[in-house]
Amino acid sequence: MKRLDTTVSSIRQVAEGYYELRFAWPAQGGDEPGPGRFVTIRAGGRYDPALRRPFAFSDYRAGAAGEGGEAAIVFQVRGRGTAHMAGLRPGDSLDALGPLGKGFGRPARGARPVLVAGGIGVGPMLYLAATLAEDAAAGLCEAPILAMGFRNAAFAPDIDLPAGAVICTDDGSSGFKGTVADWLAGFDPGSPPAFYACGPAPMMAAVARLAEARRAPYEAAVEQWMACGVGACAGCAVPVKSGGFVRACVDGPVLDGSIVDWEASR
Amino acid sequence: MIGSMDMGVRIGDLVMPNPVGVASGTFGYGQEYEPLVDADALGALYTKAVTPEPRRGNPAPRLVDTPAGMLNSIGLANPGLDAFIAEKLPGLRARRCSVVVNVAGKTEDDYLRVLERLEAEDGIDGYEINVSCPNVAHGGLAFGTDPAQVERLTRRLADARTRGGARRPIIVKLSPNVTDICVVAKAAEAGGADAVSCINTLVGMVIDVKAKRTTLAMGTGGLSGPAIRPVGVACVYKVSRAVSIPVIGLGGICDADDALQYLLAGAVAVQLGTAVFSRPEAPLEALEGIRAFMEKEGLSSVADIGALLL
Ligand SMILES: Cc1cc2nc3c(=O)[nH]c(=O)nc-3n(C[C@H](O)[C@H](O)[C@H](O)COP(=O)(O)OP(=O)(O)OC[C@H]3O[C@@H](n4cnc5c(N)ncnc54)[C@H](O)[C@@H]3O)c2cc1C
Ligand SMILES: Cc1cc2nc3c(=O)[nH]c(=O)nc-3n(C[C@H](O)[C@H](O)[C@H](O)COP(=O)(O)O)c2cc1C
Ligand code: FES
Repeated sequence: MKRLDTTVSSIRQVAEGYYELRFAWPAQGGDEPGPGRFVTIRAGGRYDPALRRPFAFSDYRAGAAGEGGEAAIVFQVRGRGTAHMAGLRPGDSLDALGPLGKGFGRPARGARPVLVAGGIGVGPMLYLAATLAEDAAAGLCEAPILAMGFRNAAFAPDIDLPAGAVICTDDGSSGFKGTVADWLAGFDPGSPPAFYACGPAPMMAAVARLAEARRAPYEAAVEQWMACGVGACAGCAVPVKSGGFVRACVDGPVLDGSIVDWEASR
Repeated sequence: MIGSMDMGVRIGDLVMPNPVGVASGTFGYGQEYEPLVDADALGALYTKAVTPEPRRGNPAPRLVDTPAGMLNSIGLANPGLDAFIAEKLPGLRARRCSVVVNVAGKTEDDYLRVLERLEAEDGIDGYEINVSCPNVAHGGLAFGTDPAQVERLTRRLADARTRGGARRPIIVKLSPNVTDICVVAKAAEAGGADAVSCINTLVGMVIDVKAKRTTLAMGTGGLSGPAIRPVGVACVYKVSRAVSIPVIGLGGICDADDALQYLLAGAVAVQLGTAVFSRPEAPLEALEGIRAFMEKEGLSSVADIGALLL
């Protein structure tokens, strides 16, 4: 983990209220971005907002030996921090801290990775889908399926989607009409599934029920307000079923979805 | 000493290497921020509160961002005294900076238990007594608003120090959530405190209008960050004129100028908390800035800064 004064290489709107931000990311000797890991960005003045904003990596390309690479995030404009970020331009400086947190693990050999994304979870799941597609090509797992849920077509990102991507919209304006959970209910993975998800809490809980019913592993990337991002403040508590909490920033954000108390998460 | 300047700060029998510390609850136990911050270069590291038993803390969400600040209702989540000694203290012992353990509990005896047990351990330089946490039902702020109880608790803790040689200072951490903070500061002094630190967070609440409920699961939380700085500076100004023991200032300090406001107001040392979340490099930058200020003013000791206030 490192704090970087880096530079915006590009920014573009990819859906209604969603942007892809790409920025220079020098190699850090083994501690690299990965699907599910995140970066915190100082979004605005030096201390107002007082807290850095966390975002999952949506891509990372290492540079050639000795050269810097490039990382990306896909973010939704929600409040003042992200509104500020939407105004960034190529060449602007960016205060980024990372890579932070634990990312996604790899599925068992022969398993079918089933990736589920909604809202702000699209970035990390696209990144994971691309990584698992490479694994599948190398024969390490079955080809991944990526199911993404949106309110309507305007929210579906204009990003190159991997083969096997399915779009679900609540109003049927694009792809399957209904929620991702509806689509998954009628989906036959062929091989034993391994579930991965990132998105709104009801979706995360629905995937948890599905994974439990199919006795399948479930890796869930959770979202929680963060202050330090490094495990020092205990602010990012996520309730677990055994009672107590884990910290989203260092124990996660990717957690075993079966241990999270989705009912108590809000 | 840096050049001919003495950056050291005396608190009771302890000399901290310099006046800049990191505040309790914002820096964990020191390892979390590695390799972002060279904690050894700090004046002092104040740990997260230690209570006798492990505490899970309050329900989530525990944080919310506010104008130039934040609210937290962590609820003193910590692994408890045994785990602190077994797991956290070894890393802290190796520190070159002063290590001050923040002590909390539900009852007076809880505070005593923590201090008595830690007296048997090496590698600790002082105790900060948290009688000002607004996020727990028992202890914390409930103690800090009652001068008689602050005096009695402080005296019991001061008398419970059993180690030979230099005594570890007792620093009583004060709450701004009182009518007159000076009354509580004087009570701590009367009880034998070596210093006071102020301020802890201010009680606050945010309501999510769309959801029609409080954003924090607990309802209220403690406000920290730049938003509270003027409150902290005023408290330090008043308290340092009301007591003769050293005052350690904190609340919203982000840079050297902020720290110097506190030092000019009468603090002998400062702590940075919330600012570290945004800019982990802030404490050491502030230290550099204080040094530059002293050089410009021709001061040889941090303790001389307060006298400059007109
Ligand atoms: C591990 C992790 C990964 C994330 N990845 C992405 C991503 O890839 N793309 C994306 O668009 N968003 C992501 N988020 C959410 C993103 O951090 C928030 O949307 C952003 O912080 C909002 O800031 P704001 O100032 O625009 O909104 P504000 O007006 O401050 O808040 C709007 C809402 O955003 C959330 N939020 C605000 N600050 C924080 C914070 N410090 N920590 C967590 N949540 C916060 C809260 O739910 C709040 O109600 C992620 C969050 C976490 C914890
Ligand atoms: C997340 C968080 C946790 C805290 N935990 C403690 C604690 O355990 N004990 C304590 O005495 N103060 C605690 N505090 C209060 C700070 O030490 C400090 O008094 C307060 O935040 C004001 O300083 P600041 O504005 O620089 O953050 C905590 C503050 C925050 C933001
Ligand atoms: S954000 Fe501080 S512990 Fe996770």
